[in-house]
Amino acid sequence: MGGGKGGVGKTFLSANLAYTLSRAGYKVVAVDTDIEGPNLHTWLGVSKPRVSLADYVSGRESRIEHLLLETPHHGLGLLAATHGDLAAAQPEAGRRLEFLRALRELPCDFVFVDCGAGAHPATIDYFLVGDEGLLVLHPEPTSIENTYTFIRAAFYRRMHAAMQKHDVRECVREAMDQRNERGIRSPLDLLEAVRHMDPEEGQRFAATMRSFRPRILVNEVATAEDVKLGFSVRSICRKFFGIEADYVGYINRDQAVRDSVLLRKPLLEVRPEADSAVYLQRIAGKLAEAAGAPR
Amino acid sequence: MKSLSEMTHYEVLEIPSDAAPDEVERAYRMAQATWGEDGLATYSLYEEGETEAIRERVELAFRVLSDPDAKAEYDGGLVAEGTDPLDDLDIDLQFVDSGPAPSVDFVAAEIDTFDDAADETGDWNGARLRRARLRRGIDLEKIAEVTKINPSYLRFIEDDQYADLPARVYVRGFVVAYARCLGLDPERVATGYLEILSEAAPEAARRGRRTQG
Ligand SMILES: Nc1ncnc2c1ncn2[C@@H]1O[C@H](COP(=O)(O)OP(=O)(O)O)[C@@H](O)[C@H]1O
Ligand SMILES: [Mg+2]
Repeated sequence: MGGGKGGVGKTFLSANLAYTLSRAGYKVVAVDTDIEGPNLHTWLGVSKPRVSLADYVSGRESRIEHLLLETPHHGLGLLAATHGDLAAAQPEAGRRLEFLRALRELPCDFVFVDCGAGAHPATIDYFLVGDEGLLVLHPEPTSIENTYTFIRAAFYRRMHAAMQKHDVRECVREAMDQRNERGIRSPLDLLEAVRHMDPEEGQRFAATMRSFRPRILVNEVATAEDVKLGFSVRSICRKFFGIEADYVGYINRDQAVRDSVLLRKPLLEVRPEADSAVYLQRIAGKLAEAAGAPR
Repeated sequence: MKSLSEMTHYEVLEIPSDAAPDEVERAYRMAQATWGEDGLATYSLYEEGETEAIRERVELAFRVLSDPDAKAEYDGGLVAEGTDPLDDLDIDLQFVDSGPAPSVDFVAAEIDTFDDAADETGDWNGARLRRARLRRGIDLEKIAEVTKINPSYLRFIEDDQYADLPARVYVRGFVVAYARCLGLDPERVATGYLEILSEAAPEAARRGRRTQG
């Protein structure tokens, strides 16, 4: 769950989608990777996590399974983050890779990875580790702007990792700088450049591009125009980035959401009849369907 | 994965080549909202003049595809060229070895693509009406304009503020018109809504009967 901007509802959605799927009978783990501003545990009714990712970063614990916490909710586990060591918040690169691998091996049906704000390479890695990348946005220019920055960052990082030849990787790296000297402005320009350099890498690039399918969620909609924003962003992803994004749904701006977090309980438990709860279930259903996860 | 200049009119509007006229129209409206001068969705991404070029392509696409003669001529040209939108994808896919590539479908940019299941059950209360409206991308003001119903009443209906609603017979008419705007079954929706209203606000219902009789 990413999106570039803070306060758009990433943690609300991570916690509540995780809960909704656990209630539907799936085994779910929610993971807080927002080491700089952790609060996923609070949404899930766990105050002051006993152990956390900080123990993994510091090396006190080397297996993330040992850091899994129970939550008050059946079938929903938590890997919390706490601001343990202010000097060294993020795990160093090698350890990060181990962590990402371990995340994929967690014994459950769904893992929700809640990302922090910004487009730091570590944040992008946490976003890219999933089979699905969910992007949360607000119907406001600030969020739109940060979302595109985030998509760009995620896109180039994925492409860089997928390329095999040194000069092509170098070209992708240079393209990350918007004012690069090759005159590459958009992913489509880059695709052309890579095809030109090396047809085989070009094929690989196109294939990776095709498998990069972020899913869009618009949070705090109030008008029909806000609802349509997701379709517009999808069109723009197609025409500017050349990628297929999916619009999986929207959630209205709803006092019920605030009510639920004030009680530190899931929305579905506190206000099951609220519009936001209906929308939330709709999205959860779509995700379960897309994953084809057996219950 | 084509640049704008390589796209067909259908790809520009993101519709299949057998799209019905109303689908073409809807896609055009959506594209106008997306690429419009003060559109929110393009914010920060494009340089000066870039969205204008797209707008021009959108206009051209609509002009051609909404005119049966122009469309027929254009389609004839596409067939002659052998430009199938999926052609270049097929070629690419033959060389792909890194896992399964999701198929790229050119679905229409239509509003009502969400799974209805979660909303198929339950009562036709105001909240459900509002959800049905939003998913169709229709503003309350638009419904007021089309139905000539005072927007405050429409808002009271959506907010289930029964006490502020006029007599039942009027409410029924309002809900029927509202439902018709959304393409819902007006009879079913209005009957459902009035049932809830009678249960939740007997006085309002009584008052309504009095005014009627
Ligand atoms: N749909 C909504 N309606 C009303 N308030 C919301 C909604 N979604 C989020 N919020 C509020 O916004 C705040 C920030 O959400 P949060 O999930 O912490 O953002 P992020 O994790 O993206 O920084 C929450 O405390 C919550 O009260
Ligand atoms: Mg957060």
